[in-house]
Amino acid sequence: MIDNLILGFGVALSLKNVAFAFLGCMIGTAIGVLPGIGPVATISLLLPLTFGVDPVTAIIMLAGIYYGAQYGGSTTAILLNLPGEVSSVVTTLEGYKMARRGRAGAALTIAALGSFFAGSVSTLVVAASGPLLTSVALSFGPADYFSLMLLGLIISAVLAQGSVLKSVAMVVLGVALGLVGTDVQTGQQRFTFGIPELSDGIEFVALAMGIFGIAEIILNLEKPENRDVSVAKVTSLWLTREEARRATPSVLRGTLVGSVLGILPGGGAALSAFGSYMMERRLSKYGHEFGTGAIEGVAGPESANNAASQTSFIPLLTLGIPSNAVMALMVGALIIQGIQPGPRMVEAQPELFWGLIASMWIGNLMLLIINLPLIGMWVALLKVPYRFLYPAILIFCAIGVYSINNSAFDVYETVVFGFFGYLLAKLRFEPAPLLIGFVLGPMMEEHLRRAMLLSRGDPIVFFDRPISATLLAISALALGAMLLPTLRKRKDEALAE
Amino acid sequence: MRLNAKDIASGVLLITIALLGLYFNLDHPIGSARRMGPGYMPMLTFILLGGLGAAVLFIGLANGPDPLEKWAWREFVLILAAMAIFGLLLERIGFALAIVATVGISALADRTQTIRGTIGCIIFLIVLCWMVFIWGLDIRVPFLPPFLGYY
Repeated sequence: MIDNLILGFGVALSLKNVAFAFLGCMIGTAIGVLPGIGPVATISLLLPLTFGVDPVTAIIMLAGIYYGAQYGGSTTAILLNLPGEVSSVVTTLEGYKMARRGRAGAALTIAALGSFFAGSVSTLVVAASGPLLTSVALSFGPADYFSLMLLGLIISAVLAQGSVLKSVAMVVLGVALGLVGTDVQTGQQRFTFGIPELSDGIEFVALAMGIFGIAEIILNLEKPENRDVSVAKVTSLWLTREEARRATPSVLRGTLVGSVLGILPGGGAALSAFGSYMMERRLSKYGHEFGTGAIEGVAGPESANNAASQTSFIPLLTLGIPSNAVMALMVGALIIQGIQPGPRMVEAQPELFWGLIASMWIGNLMLLIINLPLIGMWVALLKVPYRFLYPAILIFCAIGVYSINNSAFDVYETVVFGFFGYLLAKLRFEPAPLLIGFVLGPMMEEHLRRAMLLSRGDPIVFFDRPISATLLAISALALGAMLLPTLRKRKDEALAE
Repeated sequence: MRLNAKDIASGVLLITIALLGLYFNLDHPIGSARRMGPGYMPMLTFILLGGLGAAVLFIGLANGPDPLEKWAWREFVLILAAMAIFGLLLERIGFALAIVATVGISALADRTQTIRGTIGCIIFLIVLCWMVFIWGLDIRVPFLPPFLGYY
């Protein structure tokens, strides 16, 4: 592992990769600070721009945006009571109260330090579990793969906000959209309606941009803007000795919770931040102070969401299965770059895997520097009103999606999915499972067909093989558990914005 | 009756998509479970989608009330139109003028937007896009109107 890490740092420390990691972290922090623009929209926006660089550099930058956004989101949560990202919603609970008590600087510092610590530890978790899980995954047959993907889809639907039934429907709809295009095995055109542009399938970037980028602009515009909140003053960034003592165990617990929950498909940053908050309130000696600005309530969730955003790369890097919408975009980015994500990636692309891991650690260090001394700059960024932002987002979406194939058709495709995304939002559908279904659908079909061919058409093969049977059993349990009203209620509480 | 209009509409939408999908799937050979044709997976997917749609619809009959939400038609139409116009104009009149059109139309979607703000956005975006996309990434697209003879 040491050799591999050295290789990784060699890759990540090249001038170009450091520059792109820095760029990613800056962009990530900026969109994290700004409410109304999330990492999913931004990454789909910038995907086309990464085609020109090599895969490692592209992934390093996109990853930087993702975890940078978790950092940035906490800044506005603490200073303005405005969560920049869903994952920093719980930070507003104690963080803003701390700021009101005049401890804004301390809250920001512990958020940044906790995130840095959690990021460093969880990066090691990724490094350690990668090769381990990969060796397991290499013994997987097609049937096992199919079941694994099914499990990933089901858990991502179960953990999504709102109705599980509708989220499962979104997954299936995503799979259906993934069917469009040329059937790989027979060459038959499916659902292309004679449109040549559709024979390569629906453009992934157009789908993601339409549903997350364009639809989000319309949704933001229909809500009246209220960002004229007074910014809490940041006096000293230093923690008192008492605060440091109280925060340390919370950071450790938050790191643990985040690292574990981040691996779950659909779990990720938001869920782990909330889990950590609940845990701190129960376990901390100062539980009674929660609600008045307890530092534990900032330290724990902030560490947890950052740990989770790192470990959510594990299923992607080792199994090729995206655990959330951002990871689905990463799959898209890799495939466009000609790399098939999956268990062979660690061996076939060691510089990608280890370079990414090393860059995560470097990125976390950068974020510490970007965030603490430059806090004033990020606060100033908040003063940019949305009416200046959305035309820029629109133009970047449009030219970005056009430049993939130099085709205006892709722009129209984005318009259609923008319409569709708005319709889905109005009907209270969660869009993230759709994207994951879209990415996994074609792979599932391939494995299903291969498994059934090998078993001579006998579906028993999925229950015969121990790995596959176990995965299916977990899927069934996960679905069944959501039928229990108490569990469902707790989930809704956990994910309520 | 505690009708959940959102869920009922959702169910109808899903069932409609499923039926359309199954109809268009008639063109594709299904094959057998052992040797699946190109139509097999779509068949499974759309049957499942239809079933889920029916379930959403059925549950929606009782878990309301949850009325449909109002659509922000003005914002909705203007933003989508601004985007579509960009695709329409880009190759014909060049990147710079397409930005003018798209930003101009999209600006109407926000009532707080001012004329000066719109012009500022346009100038800023033209400069930024030239730097990022033409000078930096060198994408193959006419920047100025092609009939002027420049590229």
